[in-house]
Amino acid sequence: MSGLTVAEFEDVGMSYPTGFFGRGRRLAVEHISLRINPAEVFALVGPNRAGKTTLVKILLSLCRPTTGRGLRFQRPLAERQTLARVGYVHEHPAFPRYLSAPALLQYYGALTLLTESVVRSRAAVLLDMVGLADRGHEPISCFSKGMIQRLAIAQALLNDPELLVLDEPSEGLDLAGRRLIREVIAERRRRGFTVLLVSHVVGELEQVCDRVGVLVGGHLVYSGTVADLARDPRTGAPCPIEQALDRLYFSSPLPSAAEERTSEGPRPRA
Amino acid sequence: MTAPEVIYAWRWLIRDTFRQSMANYLFWVMLAVSAVVIFFCLSVSIEGGGPLRPVDDLEVAKPHGHMSLAFGAWRMPLFRDGEAQVHFVLLLLAEWVAGGGGTLLALVWTAGFVPEFLQPANATVLLSKPIPRWVLLMGKYLGVVAFAGIQVTVFIAGTWLALGLSTGFWVSSYLWGIPLLLLHFAAVYSFSVFLAVCTRSTLTCVVGSVAFWLLCWGINYGRHCLLALESTLPPLHPLLRGLAEAGYWIVPKPVDMGMMLHRFLDAGDSFRSFSELQKVQELGAFYPELSLVTSLLFAIVMIVIAARQLSATNY
Repeated sequence: MSGLTVAEFEDVGMSYPTGFFGRGRRLAVEHISLRINPAEVFALVGPNRAGKTTLVKILLSLCRPTTGRGLRFQRPLAERQTLARVGYVHEHPAFPRYLSAPALLQYYGALTLLTESVVRSRAAVLLDMVGLADRGHEPISCFSKGMIQRLAIAQALLNDPELLVLDEPSEGLDLAGRRLIREVIAERRRRGFTVLLVSHVVGELEQVCDRVGVLVGGHLVYSGTVADLARDPRTGAPCPIEQALDRLYFSSPLPSAAEERTSEGPRPRA
Repeated sequence: MTAPEVIYAWRWLIRDTFRQSMANYLFWVMLAVSAVVIFFCLSVSIEGGGPLRPVDDLEVAKPHGHMSLAFGAWRMPLFRDGEAQVHFVLLLLAEWVAGGGGTLLALVWTAGFVPEFLQPANATVLLSKPIPRWVLLMGKYLGVVAFAGIQVTVFIAGTWLALGLSTGFWVSSYLWGIPLLLLHFAAVYSFSVFLAVCTRSTLTCVVGSVAFWLLCWGINYGRHCLLALESTLPPLHPLLRGLAEAGYWIVPKPVDMGMMLHRFLDAGDSFRSFSELQKVQELGAFYPELSLVTSLLFAIVMIVIAARQLSATNY
């Protein structure tokens, strides 16, 4: 592994214990080698149970890989200090229901080791940005799903993160909310920060992403630019991205027997 | 992570625990219970009273004075001197109201705090913060213990003050009940935290921690019974004796806490405790300091195990 990367996976594999006393193992991801560069928007896509969220969890030290290793800001994943430079939006965010939005941001900001004055000033700006400034006195128990999602975005941006991880951020959001997500991503890119986006919404990929990684059955079957993904591998002619993904999901050679296809050309599987 | 950062995080975790206890009304319910008991203590007054007579004294049935409750609405004859009667009331309050009812209420109501905190949807965002997991868990535990500390302080100090004002007897040794009850709760609650980390289930924590508390009573009392029996019967099988001693020294000791309260309140002269417990003290097999230290050690070991388990858990 070399070079300045925001996140890097080297031959990472992860399996969960299953069955009686966890004797069995269920494979989540296997042989993932991937780099996420500074100032890029990288999307992870794939069908359900492809291992996208597991990869995100490994990156955030929420779970440990069973094989391989990863780096976050060129430091081992076990070093938690680098998490202070990361913001994370969970796919199904849930917060203490008894807190108000400003109180939640104060609490989570403190656990990101931000000072109270910094959090206070940023919280006001962020709540205004996500459209919750006028709901500051209500407990979160009164919030709708979309409002909680907006609050999740605000808490992820509290530390002005160099790496913003968005796991299905559009879930539960209306059109204005989706526009907000795109604006946030664009703003992060403009400021030279990195975004890792996990999404099912194909339209988002074309609009906001620089590169994309496609996971199928726990294997990385494609890693490259969106433009290269949306191209027929045989003829080189442009094709709709849905069609390209369909091909990778359903009709490409099975990962266990296939070679990964990259924008730089075929690469033997590790 | 530096020590000031750890303290900063704990401060916020403790504050969050208090907000949680206020949001689910536990804080206010327990304060209200304390207020009712303190008000009851204010209503107590003692008139007359004299030294407690031996049981075989024929005059024992003759009251020396009266204790009135509810501002004189209910009067009961007094067969011992006034100060001993106040000791008796304080012992009831510390051992049974706070040590029994209060601990049970706090255990049941706070049992859901840590499992709720560790639910994946809640915890994943918190666990992706730079704070180590053990700091998060310890902060939450300290929050619940601080909550219990405030409640027990309000109860003990409030009842002490109220009874002092209403009767004129200021039994300062009663205030030892604050650290004793707090230590006892902290030790039993550490087991609840361990269950929470392993199962993330509120129900398991409620049932498990109450069952564990009762088990501690059983082990503690059982060990003292065996020792008392040994003084009159042939020696027990070494394995049984060893098991009883091992169990006694490992788990928290609620019965010992009661015995310590008896001592602090000089209750031994006026009130009978179980004969087995008296026998153990006569045999010199009751070590209050060691009992406290081992209960504290149990809490520390449980929290360390729970923290290690949480650190190894994949979310």
